Amino acid sequence: MSLFRTFAYLSTGMTYLLIFIGGLVRVSGAGMGCPDWPKCFGRWIPPTRIEQLPDYIDPAKFNIVLAWIEYSNRLFGALVGVSITLTLVFMFKYYSDVDRIKYPILLAFLLTLFEGWLGAVLVKTVLNPITITLHLFFALIIVMLLLYASQEAYYLENPKSEENSKYPQKLGIVFLFLAVALLVEVLLGTEIRGGLEMIRKDNPVIDSKFLLKMLGPFKYIHTFLGLVITGLSSYLWYQLVRKSESPSWVVVQSSSAILLFILVQIFSGEILVFLKVIPVIQLFHLWIASWILGLVSIQYSAWKKSQLFNE
Amino acid sequence: MNRYIILIFSFVVLLGIGASWVINKANSSHDIPIIKPVPDFSFKNQFGSTFNETNLKNKITVLDFIFTTCPGPCPIMTYNMVDLYHDFDSVSEVQFVSITVDPEMDTKEILKEYADLNGVDDQRWHFLYSDIDSIKKLKKEGFMLYADKLPQGHAIKFILIDHNGNIRKYFDGTDEASMKILRKDLTKLVKEIRS
Repeated sequence: MSLFRTFAYLSTGMTYLLIFIGGLVRVSGAGMGCPDWPKCFGRWIPPTRIEQLPDYIDPAKFNIVLAWIEYSNRLFGALVGVSITLTLVFMFKYYSDVDRIKYPILLAFLLTLFEGWLGAVLVKTVLNPITITLHLFFALIIVMLLLYASQEAYYLENPKSEENSKYPQKLGIVFLFLAVALLVEVLLGTEIRGGLEMIRKDNPVIDSKFLLKMLGPFKYIHTFLGLVITGLSSYLWYQLVRKSESPSWVVVQSSSAILLFILVQIFSGEILVFLKVIPVIQLFHLWIASWILGLVSIQYSAWKKSQLFNE
Repeated sequence: MNRYIILIFSFVVLLGIGASWVINKANSSHDIPIIKPVPDFSFKNQFGSTFNETNLKNKITVLDFIFTTCPGPCPIMTYNMVDLYHDFDSVSEVQFVSITVDPEMDTKEILKEYADLNGVDDQRWHFLYSDIDSIKKLKKEGFMLYADKLPQGHAIKFILIDHNGNIRKYFDGTDEASMKILRKDLTKLVKEIRS
């Protein structure tokens, strides 16, 4: 395995973990745990005592737990940045002439820089809801780019993969619809979360089980699109697993895993709607959505690779 | 391969346990210690009624010091207080108090006009006045805020006072992020007296 692929896989895994940590910051209300950026209360290591705070920061903002939750997101984000930079370096070393690896990695690197800047904007705007959504959206794009490039590199190193598999053609449009639907679904989900916060601001002491009842049509669109996604993924599973000749292990597993995770999503979504908005379930509901997106990307790359042999 | 799946599954379960622990820790980290009780005082509000320390009992109070002709931070403070006043309109346990630091100028009538101008149409927000010495004393000794160069040199703090009349926390009344924390703490204190 080339060093490029090692770092591309590492960056992918770390970015997934970073999405989890970012979600954790959000659900634990630690977004403003550090009121300044890039330092935390004017220090590279967050203060432990209120006396260590600089004069220009309101001491009311000091909460050591929230500060460390937010700061671990930044520290881990910096580590991911280093890993993606190394991936970029090894990309130039091994695959600088392969456009389908070069451009996704270049874009992932630029988006990582942009994400760092967005983090600063988030703090400056005291967690502007649109910026929060963009922060997540670009993290999802980065992870998909990394996955795509890793898989392309794998296929270059293992050119016979998917050689024996024959999948139905003309599925490209289904993949496109599914990926777009998934991204929109995640955005709608963040809108629901933002909407809940708006309602909570106007009704500060409301019980969380009444919160969703007060939410507008977003939750129905979210459910409807969820059904569309279930339909599209089931169709893809049928085409790729049942209607194809010797589908590869990767395609069978990713297609089945997508259906399994969609079931988990329906179940966790119902808990959030009908029982209670439980933070840890909210967190996994989002994180698993990012897994599904990644699996669709894997499915697509494998299908596309097999098409080369069919031509 | 099954070993990998078990490994990943265990890792995810561990992450879930870790995340729950962090969320719990975050939820219980919003401690609001008692600083000291508000001392006795007796001022008047915009309706001419007496308002003293007993009026702080059984209510959660957000209190600040302002003056109606203040060109600087007061408009931002009052804007933030108006926002809270509206958002907590269904929470009967919460009240707001603004004490003038320029009683010579801010008479009962002026304060009533200022209240009207800011859309105060009930008894949840009291605008208080008294003689300057009593105000200075309450501000300096009662709330431990500087009061030497009034009215200009007044503090920009919002003070959170619990239902027993204890000072619980100070917030920068002009800072958006501080206001978010105040909302959380205020809600927490309300839930405490409701439970």
